[in-house]
Amino acid sequence: MSRPSVPRRSVLRGALGAGALAVASGPLAACAPGSSGSEPRKLTSTPSASAKGEITIWNRSGDLFKVFDAAIDAFRKAYPDVKVNHQAVDIDAKLANTLISGTDLPDGSFWDDAKIGGQVEHLYDLTDLIAPYRNRTSAYKLSVNTVDGRIYGVPWDLDPGLLWYREDLLEDAGVDPAGLKTYDDLLSAARSLKEKNPAAGPIHMEKDPFLGQLWLEMLAGQQGTSLADEHGKVRLDSKEYRTTLNWIRDAVDEGLVTHAEYLKQADLAALENGQQALVPWAVWWSFAPQQLLKKTKGKWRAAPLPAWTPGGARSGAMGGSSFIIPAKAKNPELAWLLYEFLCFKEPGYSAVYGPSEVYPGGLTTSVPSYAPARRADRPLFEPVAALGGQDLWKVAVDAADAIPPAAPIPAWWNKSVDYLGNNLQRLMEGKMAPDDVIDDSTKKIQRNLVDRA
Amino acid sequence: MISQSKERNSERRKSLSRPAPGPFQYLVLGLLAVVFVYPIWWAVSSSLKPPAEIVRDPLSFSPGAATLDNYRAMFDDVPIGTGFLNTVLVVAVKGAMTMFFCPLAGYAFAKYRFPGKNLLFGVLMLTLMLPTLVLIIPLLLEMSQLGWVNTYQALILPGSIDAFSIFWMRQTIAAVPDELLDAGRVDGASEFGIFARIVVPVIRPGIAALGVLTAMNIYNDFVWPVVAVNDESHQTLQVVLSTLAQNVTGNRVGADFATVWGELLAAGSIAMLPVLVLFVLLQRHFINGILAGSVKG
Amino acid sequence: MTPTTLTPARRERAAPAPPRPARSRRRPFLTPYLFVAPFYVVFAAFGLYPLVFALQLSFTDWKGAGEAHFIGLENYTYLLTSEEFWSSLGNSAVMWLLIVPVQIVGGLAAAVLLANARLRLRGMFRVAFIAPFVTPLVAMAQVWIVAFDTDYGLVNHLLGLVGLPGVDWLQSTAWAKPTLALLFLWKTTGFAVIILLAGLQAVPADVYEAASLDGASRKRQFWSLTLPLMRRSIAFLVVVQTLAVFQMFAEPHVVTQGGPYGSTTTGGLYLYNHITTSDLGTGAANSFLLVLLVFALSLLSVRLLRSRDE
Repeated sequence: MSRPSVPRRSVLRGALGAGALAVASGPLAACAPGSSGSEPRKLTSTPSASAKGEITIWNRSGDLFKVFDAAIDAFRKAYPDVKVNHQAVDIDAKLANTLISGTDLPDGSFWDDAKIGGQVEHLYDLTDLIAPYRNRTSAYKLSVNTVDGRIYGVPWDLDPGLLWYREDLLEDAGVDPAGLKTYDDLLSAARSLKEKNPAAGPIHMEKDPFLGQLWLEMLAGQQGTSLADEHGKVRLDSKEYRTTLNWIRDAVDEGLVTHAEYLKQADLAALENGQQALVPWAVWWSFAPQQLLKKTKGKWRAAPLPAWTPGGARSGAMGGSSFIIPAKAKNPELAWLLYEFLCFKEPGYSAVYGPSEVYPGGLTTSVPSYAPARRADRPLFEPVAALGGQDLWKVAVDAADAIPPAAPIPAWWNKSVDYLGNNLQRLMEGKMAPDDVIDDSTKKIQRNLVDRA
Repeated sequence: MISQSKERNSERRKSLSRPAPGPFQYLVLGLLAVVFVYPIWWAVSSSLKPPAEIVRDPLSFSPGAATLDNYRAMFDDVPIGTGFLNTVLVVAVKGAMTMFFCPLAGYAFAKYRFPGKNLLFGVLMLTLMLPTLVLIIPLLLEMSQLGWVNTYQALILPGSIDAFSIFWMRQTIAAVPDELLDAGRVDGASEFGIFARIVVPVIRPGIAALGVLTAMNIYNDFVWPVVAVNDESHQTLQVVLSTLAQNVTGNRVGADFATVWGELLAAGSIAMLPVLVLFVLLQRHFINGILAGSVKG
Repeated sequence: MTPTTLTPARRERAAPAPPRPARSRRRPFLTPYLFVAPFYVVFAAFGLYPLVFALQLSFTDWKGAGEAHFIGLENYTYLLTSEEFWSSLGNSAVMWLLIVPVQIVGGLAAAVLLANARLRLRGMFRVAFIAPFVTPLVAMAQVWIVAFDTDYGLVNHLLGLVGLPGVDWLQSTAWAKPTLALLFLWKTTGFAVIILLAGLQAVPADVYEAASLDGASRKRQFWSLTLPLMRRSIAFLVVVQTLAVFQMFAEPHVVTQGGPYGSTTTGGLYLYNHITTSDLGTGAANSFLLVLLVFALSLLSVRLLRSRDE
């Protein structure tokens, strides 16, 4: 569900908002709004089914908005006395500002997991409300929304990494997709493909610095680590990152990769002409064969990611969003009611993921975070024709179960792309060694972001 | 008018000693003119093409196949109408303030002697040196202290009376003969009356140029509106425009970039149109005003 | 009928009083102050106050929320020892080199051609040159993204037509700066031409007449007469464009977001980036360093252009 197409700009724009945000409240301002106590505001009381009132809910504009709009209609039927103003808003640009200035706040909003950790002082502590659903919710999603033991976001979509591959090409090269169990296996498969087609660079390497770093985090997340630990300390200098970066360098050195920007023209061409056949990427890549790859539609399949060590986790998360309730919302209880409905109640989540006017086959770009909503035997979306009728639901929910927990995403994550993301690109271009990527990025992130945060 | 006719005379005399330009000069100027105008034409004409065509052949344009699809898609995506109305409001109010107060201050600096004038003028000139960006952060803080974030006054008041316009008007008004003013004074006109009834009519071309330049600057302003306002209902056209790329690429599953381009070009064209029309209609005033008013000091 | 013609009659009517010398008019003392006051009121409220605020902020670690702590010069020393700060200035300096000399030389050439009253279609040329100046920057920046796209852009398409390979305009560190410089040049050169044209026309005609009587060639006339007399206009332009180039923000913000590898992160964009990370104290400090630099550069260019002549 996170942005399947070119999110870099939007993320930067978001950062812009996040900045303007800060500025919107005065430190030196006589009245710092609502910051009298440092205790997080806790939301505990749950209203009954006869709840009454009006709430304003923000979502991103675009097709996703239409999908949520339909789901909110279902909510309106269940709670006829709650009036929901559903608004399409440029959340990245506005929400952070609005939270701080405290004016015209929505009662609830969709937000990137990456943004939530940095803004918890403006959000309701939802720990007690989520408690009944906690052990059935993805541990990864809970971990990114938890700061100091308190949960601030209602976990929405889960975006497991999968291995996307060209079934026909692998078969031609004699590679059994089921045998791709480790990243070493992936390299061997790439070698076989290259033997068959010397022009091939079978493995996709991301050229956009932001997405490249998000991708690296997926690979690291598979190994149970992430850029910062729960105290915000940089933990790039680790065995896990070293393993990953060395693997990338080996693949590059052997000429087994295609270095292209996510679904830009060069990338699409290389996907269509057989040059690329192995794309380790989040589930939201599914929209490429459905909408963009006209020639090779139907030839793509999804499998679990390889593991870094035999028997290791077969997936990691790449992106994701949750719902937040601003600490100064007027009707937080009703907003919770809505989000509880969408995330944890069958009519709610199936209205979003199931077949809809916008997506006749269902929404295939993510899966729910709530385990009962992602049972392998109860698919919410249909098998995908562009994947040769493969049951993507099953592959995705199995992968989702495998994602290890991580840590809240630090507020400076987007900004760190200037260092880690750029250095990763240098590595992919063969201009920087893995150890230098780690040392240089760590040093610069520490100096320019952590120390100044 | 006075300064203009003078200028035209001297120009004519000057060029008598010059030969008419040759074909080479025309060629150079012609090529340059094409380079300067073509991007505008290209943006507007491409915005009328079906998206796939923009990508397939950037050069082609057949008026017969023109379509407004890109515009329709864009209107569906972003509140460009609201943005346009906000811009019109800001241009009207802020522009009116500039147009009233700047010539008045320029008049005082050009035609009055008063204690502290040099100091005041020095401060004015110094503010010209101040990069706008310096003020962005603290100004935004000030707006939030005043509770003005997301308001029209935040868009309008800061910079509504600017040093450059005053300086420019001072240059223009300095060329108005003192005798004219004395005449008015002897006639018993009030100080403001002299300004309104004698100075303003004489410098009308300069004021027209100031008007065009001011309207254009406010219309095109981006940095301040983008930070001062985060709520859609107050966003100006430029801000709406700048978020378009984000809105269309970021959130629509499956939108291909040709469609996105079509919308970008449509939005760009629609934003350009009003200023270009205004400029073409008033270009003579605009250019002559700058010619008459600039760099004489 | 211009007011001039009325003057004598009116004066006569008021004759009894002896004509006062022009400079000692009796006027209400407050009038000029009233006339200039609005500017200073607005400036005090939305210029001076935030400026003082910013200065104060530049000595704190304030992040946009919570308490602000006084940290002395730390923000300044952080910047002055920061690789990125210097590289942002370096990027701006390169931009300056790509823009200002080209614009002055090209603008002068165009202005000289346009100043010729025997030029046909003169008005049309003037309109053509200045049209880009009135287009909204954001709109044109987006047009630039599309036109300079590596795969499908207009420019690479044109190169292809004449058999040249396409260029990675916005994705390569070598080309991204020139591509942005081109946008800036395209947009503002018309303004420069008009300013220079004004300067040219302000040169008194008699100077040329005297020179041609002396038999000076037109080339020599340009170098020895026109150029020196134009130094004010040129200095004005250099100062204005130096300010603009070092503060350049919207172009890279919209077109490249400062990339690739930070190669288009200009002084202005780097400053803006502090806002995006809520590092407001550093942002304020950065502002003042930038102001100092721009101020020094302006003084320097004025000085240089003056001394050459005197």
